[in-house]
Amino acid sequence: MKKAFAKEKWEYLLYTMSHPMDGFYWIRHQEKGSVGVAVVMVLLFSAAFTSNRLLAGFVVNDIDARTVNSFFELLSVLILYLLFCVSNWSVTCLMNGEGRMKDIAVAIGYGTLPISVVLILGTITSNFIADDEQAFYYMLIGIGIAYGLILMLIGIMQVHNYTLGKTLLTVLLTFAAFLIIVFLILLLTNLLGMVVNFFKSVYTEIIFRA
Amino acid sequence: MDRGKGEKQMKHGKFEKLKRIVLGGLLTAALTGSVLHADAIASSLPYQSYNYNYWEDIVYTPAPYAPDYVVDGQSLVYNGEAIGSFATPQDLCVDADGTIYLADTGNNRIVVLDGSAKTVRDIITGFDNNGTADTFSQPSGVAVSESGQLYIADSQNRRVVVLDTDGSLVRIVKDPQSEILDDSFTFVPLKVTVDYAGRIYCVAQNMFEGIMVFETDGQFTGFFGTINVDITLWERFWRRIASKEERSRSQLFIPTEFTGIDVDPEGFVYASNIDVNGEQGVRRLNPRGEDVIRKGVNENLGGDLWISGSTDYAGPSQFTDVVYRKNGIYSCVDRRRGRVFTYDHEGNLLYIFGGIGTQNGTFQLPTAIENVGGDILVLDGTKANITYFKETEYGRLINQAVGLRYDGDEKAAVELWKQVLLLDENNELANTGIGKAYLTAGEYELAMKYLKLGMAREYYSVAYKRYRNQFLTKHASLFLTLLLVLVIGGMVLSGLRKAGVIGSGRPEKTEQDQDSL
Repeated sequence: MKKAFAKEKWEYLLYTMSHPMDGFYWIRHQEKGSVGVAVVMVLLFSAAFTSNRLLAGFVVNDIDARTVNSFFELLSVLILYLLFCVSNWSVTCLMNGEGRMKDIAVAIGYGTLPISVVLILGTITSNFIADDEQAFYYMLIGIGIAYGLILMLIGIMQVHNYTLGKTLLTVLLTFAAFLIIVFLILLLTNLLGMVVNFFKSVYTEIIFRA
Repeated sequence: MDRGKGEKQMKHGKFEKLKRIVLGGLLTAALTGSVLHADAIASSLPYQSYNYNYWEDIVYTPAPYAPDYVVDGQSLVYNGEAIGSFATPQDLCVDADGTIYLADTGNNRIVVLDGSAKTVRDIITGFDNNGTADTFSQPSGVAVSESGQLYIADSQNRRVVVLDTDGSLVRIVKDPQSEILDDSFTFVPLKVTVDYAGRIYCVAQNMFEGIMVFETDGQFTGFFGTINVDITLWERFWRRIASKEERSRSQLFIPTEFTGIDVDPEGFVYASNIDVNGEQGVRRLNPRGEDVIRKGVNENLGGDLWISGSTDYAGPSQFTDVVYRKNGIYSCVDRRRGRVFTYDHEGNLLYIFGGIGTQNGTFQLPTAIENVGGDILVLDGTKANITYFKETEYGRLINQAVGLRYDGDEKAAVELWKQVLLLDENNELANTGIGKAYLTAGEYELAMKYLKLGMAREYYSVAYKRYRNQFLTKHASLFLTLLLVLVIGGMVLSGLRKAGVIGSGRPEKTEQDQDSL
């Protein structure tokens, strides 16, 4: 395996942006992608998201800057990313998907790049627009998000070698799996808490009896 | 106040809030002596004054009004005799000369006081009803017309009595007859008011259709300002699938009753009502009975915004009375938390003060609010007294600035707004007012600064647009030169490339890579 942050990995990222069909296919079959780069992309996305919320111009920004917490936003973006990859992997495993965990991670991570780019561009331009020019800002952001989502969809489709219909179905199932995982985690923490509490009360009981 | 904080923390992260409060407090304490001074004054009052900012957070402000003195019946003497304490007084009104009429409901009398409420001018216990002496029974509303006639909602006698300035009977309005009234309807007038044309507006008990309107001659003409009930699709759906028994047990969708009325000089009726959603507790009704009140940015005219919780103290504000003051300013009194909310004609909340309590300046059950000169009077039904509130420097500045703005003189208002900022530097109305003045004066950069602080996005945008135009025109030569340099540079570069002096700048290796895919 080549180095995760080698120059050709970065170049291939850009190539994938403009040639998603081929790009994602060879990520699966020729190890062209890099999980490292994908994670960097996710971090970039988180940074772009937070900076958009904090620094976008007053005309388009209706967010109380005091409520923005970049650390929690980074954490939630990373958790969402991880959960989505895991649930997609669990679903596609059962549905003859060819992609491995790392291919999924790369597909999703690379897909965030256009969103990050428009968020950054939008944040900059929003500081130079007036009320009636808001449409440009929202159009820019909208196009970027749409492109990013399409990239992710194509990515999932290509790494698993699915048809479009099956991809959409798996995405739906992925969200279901997502909810199940969250539910299980909550259940587990709750039950663990009960167990811990039980031992705690046994302990206090013993302490007070002794 | 503690409860106010409790509500606050419910909405936001406890820690963040706490941190902000502590840090903010420390900073203010460290940086500004004047604020400390204002705090010292504020802390001597029995209530906290605050307002809601753009994000609907609570922002504590200096007190706009401070309790001056309290009048109860025991201290009053008429014709050498003590008049005794009031008993559950329900209404107050003030005529053009500043004479106060108090409906002393439990004592079945109307007490006429001078503007300071320190001397009794008259006590009306009855009148001459065509030769027989007649009295009142639980008079719960009182109003004075422009010509000085006194209108008394004589609730348990089910009539409105109109008396002339000399106390002689003018008219008795009773038994409204109309097809639209139910046969079983008994007319129990609670609050009454009268406009310049002598039309009588009356809030009656259990009358959900609206305010009852009577012509000058006492003829009932119809309802006014009916509040429509909004049934959401969701509630409709549940009612549809509910069984008959379930439906009969469920809550009825009845419109809210009006609680208090006042008329402004233009003949518009201000009416307070209890809104269970806490969205709109006051209406401004035009002569056709349509609500023409203006709402502010948050579309709320319901008093407090933080109303979550399940204690008696929580829940939406319940306005029991409204008073039109002047320059489009009106105040409403909330009986749930004993606070007085003041709005301007645009529906912006100007200031909030008052509270529930036993000290002077707080209430048990505020029933009516009035305005004498610059003072605000609040009548308390349970404590049976009238509290006089004097405007403070802060209140005076805001009242005057809003008044100037109402008259269209925003330029003159700027000086006042600047003084408001000295007392309360986060005041959004003040910042917006200053910003707008700078905008008209052509000082766009300053305008942008203040409009942003005032969260006035639209005006900010206008200011920014003009600032941008100014900037571009000023630096046009620079931009054009840069553009020229770029174009020429690009042409030279491509010329050189064609001539083979420099490479194409594109690594051939990449292309090979892509071919191999």
